[in-house]
Amino acid sequence: MTNPVQIIAVGAAAPAWRLPASEVATAWGRKGGRGQAAACPADEDVLTLAADAALRALAASGLQTDIVDGLWWGTSRPPFAEGPSHSFLAAAIGLSAKSGGALCAGSTHSGIDALIGAADAVAAGSARVALVVASDAVVPGAGTSFEERAGAGAAAFVLTNDEGAATLGARVTRTHPYLDRYRGDDELETRDIYDGRLFREEVFLPVMRDLGEQLSALEVTSWSLPDPDGRLGAAAAKTLGAGTPASAGVYGALGDTGAAAPLLGAIAALDVAGRVAVVGFGGGRATGIVVDADRPVPGAAGLAAVLGTGRSATYTEVLRARNVLRPNGETVAMAVPPQSAQLVRGADEILGLLGARCVDCGTINTPPTIHPHCISCGSSKFVLEPVARHGVVHTYVINHTMPAPFQAPLGLAVVDLDDGARVMLQVAGDGSTLEIGSEVDLVLRRYAYERGVPVYGYKAAVRTPDTDDTAAAAATEEA
Amino acid sequence: MAWNKVAVVGGGLIKFGELFEQSYEQMASGAFDAAVASVDKGFDPQLVEAAFVATQRGTLWGQEGIGGNTVPTAIGLAGIPCTRVENACPSGSDAFRVGAMAVASGVHDVVLVIGVEKMRDKSGDEGLLARAAAGHPVYTRGETAPVLFAPFATRHMHEFGTTREMLASVAVKNHFNGARNPNAHFKNEITIEDALKSAPVCHPLHLLDCCPQTDGAAAVLLVNPDRAAEFTDDPVFVAGFGVATDHPYLHEKSTFTGLRATTMAAERAYKMAGVEPGQIDCAEVHDCFTITEILDIEDLGFVEKGKGGVASLEGETAITGRIPVNTSGGLLAKGHPIGATGVAQIVECWLQLRGQADERQAEIRNGFALQHNVGGRGSGVSVINILTTNR
Repeated sequence: MTNPVQIIAVGAAAPAWRLPASEVATAWGRKGGRGQAAACPADEDVLTLAADAALRALAASGLQTDIVDGLWWGTSRPPFAEGPSHSFLAAAIGLSAKSGGALCAGSTHSGIDALIGAADAVAAGSARVALVVASDAVVPGAGTSFEERAGAGAAAFVLTNDEGAATLGARVTRTHPYLDRYRGDDELETRDIYDGRLFREEVFLPVMRDLGEQLSALEVTSWSLPDPDGRLGAAAAKTLGAGTPASAGVYGALGDTGAAAPLLGAIAALDVAGRVAVVGFGGGRATGIVVDADRPVPGAAGLAAVLGTGRSATYTEVLRARNVLRPNGETVAMAVPPQSAQLVRGADEILGLLGARCVDCGTINTPPTIHPHCISCGSSKFVLEPVARHGVVHTYVINHTMPAPFQAPLGLAVVDLDDGARVMLQVAGDGSTLEIGSEVDLVLRRYAYERGVPVYGYKAAVRTPDTDDTAAAAATEEA
Repeated sequence: MAWNKVAVVGGGLIKFGELFEQSYEQMASGAFDAAVASVDKGFDPQLVEAAFVATQRGTLWGQEGIGGNTVPTAIGLAGIPCTRVENACPSGSDAFRVGAMAVASGVHDVVLVIGVEKMRDKSGDEGLLARAAAGHPVYTRGETAPVLFAPFATRHMHEFGTTREMLASVAVKNHFNGARNPNAHFKNEITIEDALKSAPVCHPLHLLDCCPQTDGAAAVLLVNPDRAAEFTDDPVFVAGFGVATDHPYLHEKSTFTGLRATTMAAERAYKMAGVEPGQIDCAEVHDCFTITEILDIEDLGFVEKGKGGVASLEGETAITGRIPVNTSGGLLAKGHPIGATGVAQIVECWLQLRGQADERQAEIRNGFALQHNVGGRGSGVSVINILTTNR
């Protein structure tokens, strides 16, 4: 018998925008529309959300990123439908080039798939430290029944076989082949071509009832339950006699976060000791996993700040960011394409933020590949190391005049990082809170979507009081 | 003691502006004709032994591969040696320096330096704005031209209390001067209020803090000083020059309150010419943005570091001020056809030193005028030429 698999830390992330359901309802001539859902600006997607959550979980774990043996990533829509999604995320998190893992995709069950895959690898001894990330940014068909609830978010767990705050226990799976949400080849949006009543009465609730009976027998104290449309979650909870699920707050703030939903719901329950049933649903499958928390799991307390932030966005802003509403005309190429020679030379410095520290004078040169000689002393002896991801704005501008696909206003800041490196970066958001002396975090963002290819790089995100809390909470837990 | 190994005997430019009706070749021909016509004792174009042409960005009119041979044919001198000089915004001033070295070396006695730039053939997003793809090679994108200078404005305001009114005063002065220059792109005077109320382009810079995109061409004729008397009794000499480079990206700068390339180029130019900043009677400096002129007059030693904004607001750089700057209207009002800019600045200095600048004439006391450009990636190239009437 191997050691039970432990959760030593968790992390959560959400995009910058919240779309009020009433905006969507009004657009389609419907009355009402309750609540809100998280939505990605043009520079966020499943990859950037995954990186944000993963780095928070790793910070809360206190572990160095290079000892992670594998990354298990679950998302219903990888950024490259076929391409280097997993390797890009691993590089951005700073994992070793020798790390393993898997990409689980294709339905909202993918987050649970990733958790199971990682747990089995740890249990089997093929990974000592496994990183699980579930992220999604649902792009609903315009006018679909679940559009108002379609959200975005990410959750990450760090698993080991050592002493952790929580333990993974029993798991139950039920399959029921049925096509509910659907997205085919060449389709941008997820469609609802099913009958909602048929799905609810003959598929979703029977599966939940069956699964729930098994899990209820294990004296579960709280639940993370799927709620794809804003009503099914409550119906499932009623079927199980579960009361208000721990996941309800996540759904209320972020909407349906797809593959990330079961893990985010779990994080909501893991800031106190107890037994949580984590249930995921999608693609005709449902799985429940029991998690026993002996004490609050490091990083779980950071969820409140993630749920509490975000600015209200209009429906048109969201449609534009989702590439549903497109500007006419030519756009300029604006970033380093992933298929270019420049990325071959510079993947580590572009995605992993590698800098070159001069052995003779200590100056950090970025990026290394264009600095065979130090900018300060001319030496050619360097040590490559990741630059600090936090710093202070030395000077900045807010650019109002740029060609498409750039969106004005765009802040650009010269930032002095904690390790002494100086970089210049785009600023995430509209730059309205930017000042000389502003504290910023370097975050992975999608710079562009060029010729159908996402292009990634780092931006400076100005710290707000809320993100300060998150960072402070992570620091406290780390200590 | 000034270098004085080269004499300038002619200079001219075409009227700058949105010259949709003129080809690159027609602009070049117009500038050459103007330079020839300016020579006091007449000038036979066939005397030109070699030419140096400054064009920074042929792609703005769809020509990826322009070289030296475009201009000789356009000006009726097919066959002469001609070399294209490209060195970012200082391309024109560097072509002048290269031409001067060709004369001083003794290889050529008569050299044409000509700057030609078509900025407006390609519209909007296909034009200069498409440079937004530049910037830090992996981190930054969105770096349009104002992004090269606006961070300096933000920091200058932070450290020295420079205000938007002080920036605006540079635009007001240069538009005043441009209104008195028949070859300027803009000939309208503006007020501080106009500048403050203009649309934001790249905070803290607004529209009237920025130079326009301008088509234009300018030319000067350089000769061996021993032969200057064939052409004029009032030659102007090249007293000295200085060139310097700085790191090519903004994040590599150690300071955002000055441009190191300018400071270093100035040291070299002053030393070569044997002059102090206080001996300069007037200067044409690179005012692609209002903040740039404020940095320039500090970096060139005309005012103390940090006092450029106050000096501008108080009129020290006006035509009647202590050190007249950009009497031509500068890039802000005369326009900034990149390759032509430096050459046109030389023409203005030549006119000023010879007392031919009409209602924008500055008082010439010591006989020295300074021409300056700065630009390129990270504003990392500066070229300065100093001219003198002193023999």
